[in-house]
Amino acid sequence: MVFIVILIICFLLQMIAPWWIIIVISFATCGIIGKTGKIAFWQSFFAIFLLWIGYALFKSLPNDNVLAGRVAVMTGIKLWWALLLVTGILSGLVAGISGYCGYQFRMAMLAKKTDEKIA
Amino acid sequence: MFNHKAKIKGAIDKIEIVFDDRMIPHIFAQNDHDLYLAQGYVTAMHRLWQMDFQTRFAAGRISEVVGDKAIEVDRYQRRMGMVYGAEKSLKGMMADPKAKEMILAYTEGINAYIKTLSKANYPLEYKILDFKPENWTPVKCALLLKQMSAVLAMGSDEFYMTNILKKFGPEVTKNLFPDYPFREDPIIPVGTKWDFSPLPIPKTPESFTQAQTGEVKTTEKVEGIGSNNWALSGSKTASGYPILANDPHLDLTLPSIWYQIQLHAPGVNTYGVSLPGAPGVIIGFNQKIAWGVTNVAADVLDFYQIKFKDSSHNEYWYNNKWKATTKRLETIKIRGGKDEIDTVYYTHHGPVVYFQKPKYGRADNVPVGDALRWIAHDESNELMTFYYLNRGKNYNDYRKALTFYTAPAQNFVFASIDNDIAITPNGKFPLKWKDQGKFILDGTDPAYDWQGWIPNAQNPTVKNPPRGFVSSANQSSTDTTYPYYINWEFAPYERGKRINDRLSAMNKATLDSIRLMQTDNYSIVAQNLVPALLPLLNNEQLNATQKEALAYLKKWNKRYDAHEIAASVFEIWTKRLSYNIWADEFEVKGIPMRYPSRDRTVEMILKEPNATWYDNIKTSKKESLSDLVNEAFKYSCDSLERRFGPINKDWDWANVKQTNVPHLAKIPGFGSKVLQIGGNKGTINALNETNGPSWRMVIELGKTPKGHGVYPGGQSGNPGSKFYDNMIDTWANGKLYDLFYMQSPDDQSGTVISRLKISK
Repeated sequence: MVFIVILIICFLLQMIAPWWIIIVISFATCGIIGKTGKIAFWQSFFAIFLLWIGYALFKSLPNDNVLAGRVAVMTGIKLWWALLLVTGILSGLVAGISGYCGYQFRMAMLAKKTDEKIA
Repeated sequence: MFNHKAKIKGAIDKIEIVFDDRMIPHIFAQNDHDLYLAQGYVTAMHRLWQMDFQTRFAAGRISEVVGDKAIEVDRYQRRMGMVYGAEKSLKGMMADPKAKEMILAYTEGINAYIKTLSKANYPLEYKILDFKPENWTPVKCALLLKQMSAVLAMGSDEFYMTNILKKFGPEVTKNLFPDYPFREDPIIPVGTKWDFSPLPIPKTPESFTQAQTGEVKTTEKVEGIGSNNWALSGSKTASGYPILANDPHLDLTLPSIWYQIQLHAPGVNTYGVSLPGAPGVIIGFNQKIAWGVTNVAADVLDFYQIKFKDSSHNEYWYNNKWKATTKRLETIKIRGGKDEIDTVYYTHHGPVVYFQKPKYGRADNVPVGDALRWIAHDESNELMTFYYLNRGKNYNDYRKALTFYTAPAQNFVFASIDNDIAITPNGKFPLKWKDQGKFILDGTDPAYDWQGWIPNAQNPTVKNPPRGFVSSANQSSTDTTYPYYINWEFAPYERGKRINDRLSAMNKATLDSIRLMQTDNYSIVAQNLVPALLPLLNNEQLNATQKEALAYLKKWNKRYDAHEIAASVFEIWTKRLSYNIWADEFEVKGIPMRYPSRDRTVEMILKEPNATWYDNIKTSKKESLSDLVNEAFKYSCDSLERRFGPINKDWDWANVKQTNVPHLAKIPGFGSKVLQIGGNKGTINALNETNGPSWRMVIELGKTPKGHGVYPGGQSGNPGSKFYDNMIDTWANGKLYDLFYMQSPDDQSGTVISRLKISK
C-alpha cells in the first residue's frame, strides 16, 4: 500500500514540485499508513527507485541515451545505465530513510500519547 | 513535420523560419529588422550558453561564474583592453544607422528568446556550472568580434625579438630572422603591378630601444591557427563558372564555433556561417557571389616602452615633456569573494598591460611596464563589410564592402557569376616604417608612433590574374615590391605552395576535385626535408626498431594520412631536430625568446651544413648537423616505442595525433571521441590535435549557385541533442553536405523537418 501511494503521489507532484518532494511524501505516507519499520523503508525505497529509473528511462530511451551517456562520462561513472542505477539507489535511499523516519515519528508520537494516558 | 508559433513583440511583420533536416534555419523575413531579430532569436534558441559564455570570457568575467581560480584570465582580458576596445567599437557601429538597426534587432531577438526560458529549461551547462543567463546587450556583439581579433591578431613576438636582439646583436638577428622568407609563394602573385602611387613612408628613427626582461620560458611559435581559401575562374572549371573554397582553421570546440544559417529578406538571400553573437553571414554565398576569409598576420599589435615619472604612474615622458596617464577601473566580480578593483593606466598608445609579471601562460609574451597599441582598441564597424557582402552582386560591391573592415585583417577571397575572381589581404593597416614593431618600440619618441594608415584602396589586391585562380594560406601577402610594410613574418609557405601547385595543374575542376584538395595531406615540409635528412642517418648505429622505422620513411609518400607510420616518426624527428639545433642558444632562463622560423631552419639545413648553430654549446664536444639528426631520429623512434611498443598499428599517425573536438568549457564527456583522421599543420588539411578546419565550404557558382559545406559539430548547442555533433563523421571522412539554398519558404527541393512562424 505504502509503495503504491508514494509512487502515484510522487509521480504526480513531481511534475510541478522540486525533487525533494519525495522526502515529504515518503515521510508523510509512512507516518500515516506505515505498518512496520521494514515496510516503511523498503516500500519507500522501491517506490522511488522504480519511479526515478522508470521516468529517466522514459526520457532517456527516445534520446538514445545520448545525454545520459555524456553525463555518465562527466561524473566518472562512464556507463549510462550505471548512472541510472546510482540515481535510483540514491533516490531510493533518500525516500527509504525518510519513510522510516516518518514511521518512527508516528511510533514516538503514539508512545508519547500512551505514556500521557498511563500517567 | 512540426509547426511552431511564437510571438515576439518587436517583430514588425510576419517571419517564417524553416528548419531543414540538419536543423539549419532558413529565415524568411519581410524587412532587415525582422531578419536580424529572427537570427538573434534562433541563434539563442540553439546556442545561448555558448554565446553567453564566450562573451563573458571576452569581457573578463569568468570569475563571476567559477570563482577566484579564473582571476588571472579575467585580469588579462581586462588589462589587454578587451572591454575598452569593445566599447569603442560599439561606438563605431552605433554611429551607422544600418549597423545600429542590425545590432539592436539581433539583441532584441536574443532577449525575446531568453524571456521564454524558465529555470527548468536553461541550457544544461548553466545547471552544471550553476549560473544563469543574463540579458544580451549590444556591447556583447562587439566583445565577440574583439575576441575574434584576440584569437587571430593578438600574436606578438616583439618581446622575444627584443631579447634576441639584445643577446645576439643585430647581425645574427637579421640572419636568423630575415624580413622575407627563403621560400615563398605569396598571395598576390609575384610580379603583380601596383596601380597606385604610394604615400610617403614615415622615416625610420635612428635610435633603437631595448626592453627589460621577465622570468618566463621560451615558447616555440605555435602554428595552427590559419586557414585556406581559393577561387578558380570559369576558365579552369568544368562548368565554366567560378568555384570558391574556404576552410578557416581554428581551435575546434563543441558547440561548433560556427552556426549555419540562410537569411532571406527583400534585397538579400544569403547562406553561410555566422558567429553566434554577431548578426549576418561571415563566410558564404548568395545568388551572384561567394566569399571567404583567411587570416592575415599583419603587425597591428605593438608594445611601447614607457618612462614613468614616478611609481604613481600618473605621468610619462613623451615628446620631451611629461604627459598624464588616464586610469580605467576594472571591477572584477568574484563568485564567493569580494569584488576586485583593478586599475589600468592608459597612455596615448594604449593600456600598460602589466607592472608585474603574472603567472599566466597567455601573458608570457607581454613585456612588463610597456604600453599596448592594438588595432582592436580602435573604433570600427566590421559588421557593415558583411552586410554589404551578404547583399553583394559583383566585384564593385565586394570592393566597397571591404572598405568598412578594420580587424582582424583577413584575406578576402571573392568570386562572382560574371566570372570575376579576386583576393585582397584586407584590414586597417598602420602606415609604418620597415620593421616598425618587430621589436619593442620607444614610447617617448613620436617617431615611433603609428603615423597614419595605408589607404584601403592600396591594400594588396589582385583581380582575375592570368593564372586563372587566386588563393591564400596565411603566407606573405605580397612579394618584396609592395611599397608598404605589413609584417616581417607570416605563416610558413608550405600550405600555400601546395595549393598553388595543385590549382596550377588543375583543369576542368569540379566539386570533387576541390573537395579532395581540401583534405589533401601531402606535406611540402617532408618533400623538402626527407631527401636532405635521410642521407645523414648513420645506418650502422640504428637498432632493429629504428631500422624498421627508417624503412617506412624511405617508402613514405610524404602524406600525413591516418595510417602512415612514417608520418609519426618524421613529425617527432623534425620537432626534436629543431629543439636540438636551437634550444641550447635560445632557451635561457629569465630571457624569453623564440626559435627562428621553420623556413629559416630548413634553409640552414639545406644550404649551411657547417653553421655554428649545430654545435650544442652546453657540451664540450663539437656537434655536427649529422649528430643532431641521428640523435633526433633515435629519440623519435624510442619515444614511440616507449609509448606503443615495437612498430605496430598504434604508431599510425592518427593514433599518435589523437584529433578530437573538446567541449568549449572542457566538460568531460561533452566533447567528441578521438577521431582516426590524418592531416597536419603544414598540409592543406591542417588538422592538429584539437585545431583545424572549423568549416569547409565549396561554392559552385552558376545559374543557381550550389553550396557544399560541413563543420565538426552540429547546429544545436545542446549536448543531449542528436544535432549537437551529427556532422562530425561526415567532416572526419572528408565529405561535404549539399547546402539547401532555398528560393522561397515553400521550396520543395530539400527536406524540411519543422517550421517556426513568428508574429507580433
